[in-house]
Amino acid sequence: MTELSREALLEIVRDVWERHDPVPDHLVATMQAAAALAATDLDLELMELVERSTELAGARGSTSYTLRFVHGDTDLLLRIAVDNGRSRVDGWIVPAEPMTIRALPGETPAAHEAVTTDSGRFSLTGLPVGLMRLQLEPHDTARPAFATPTFEI
Amino acid sequence: MSRTGHTRAGDGPAGDDPRPQAVWAQATDGFNRWIAGDPAGLDDLVAVMTPVLWHVVRAYRLSDSAAEDVIQNTWLALVRRRSAILDPVAVGGWLTTTARREAWRTAGGKSTPTPVEDDELAHALPQQRSAEDSVVQRDEGDRLWAAVDGLPERCRRLLRVVAFENRPDYRELATELGMPVGSIGPTRGRCLAKLRVALIEAGGI
Repeated sequence: MTELSREALLEIVRDVWERHDPVPDHLVATMQAAAALAATDLDLELMELVERSTELAGARGSTSYTLRFVHGDTDLLLRIAVDNGRSRVDGWIVPAEPMTIRALPGETPAAHEAVTTDSGRFSLTGLPVGLMRLQLEPHDTARPAFATPTFEI
Repeated sequence: MSRTGHTRAGDGPAGDDPRPQAVWAQATDGFNRWIAGDPAGLDDLVAVMTPVLWHVVRAYRLSDSAAEDVIQNTWLALVRRRSAILDPVAVGGWLTTTARREAWRTAGGKSTPTPVEDDELAHALPQQRSAEDSVVQRDEGDRLWAAVDGLPERCRRLLRVVAFENRPDYRELATELGMPVGSIGPTRGRCLAKLRVALIEAGGI
């Protein structure tokens, strides 16, 4: 029997762990999404969180709270409700302005979007809970898109 | 303290680099492309390094979800502090070190190193046995696993970290394992020797 080299032994250690404690299937994709989300945070103009209310656990385990963000002259008020593992975001932009609002949850990018009404309101429903960011794209193309920082629902 | 001072018969030309160099080169390449403005570079970096981080972090006996949190925080730290990484060649090491520190902190509150004889810790926690192992793999696979699994806890952790990392920082490892800095190299040697013996006894080689 030949003496196993250190290299060969460490190779065995790697093989054994790769087989007995494998990387979860979803892990790479989840981490790619999280990293990409954080990276776009670096490039977009970010709104600033100015208020956060924790509210009131509602009946049957539902909760809701509000967040307020500002960016320049634009105010964004969000009411977030979580019920049964899904969340709903009702938003109000002041002053009212035609915009497309995109929710960028960590794992399913760009699956949810809404357009503001004449009064500046919008709502997004059936969102997953977890890391979330809203990107606001004014229909006036002279205005650059901006986004909320990532927050956790 | 020397990181490379332990040559012995049988060491390959790779010296102290247990992991094939391709991983680290790919990490550097992805990082460079990302910094140059290509988002796919970040994807590639994450794809090549996340499995390494998984094994390093799991060496600290974190649960699946705790391990995922540590890995995610590591990636967020990389993105936010990318300008702090002055040497792209070192990005892989930066990631594993950051993940290991966080894993140790996460596990650390409760597992502050105590001076227990490491041999007494062997078999402390039963590993989940491999329901997934097919009968075909059983023979050789189980023998190899039994040999690795049967190592004292300190050896299991040290060898797993060393096997997946590229030149781990021995000073930090020593702190995390509750060992004197100078003893990491000799301990690694003893752990490898134990593994060698266990493999022979198990008939795994």
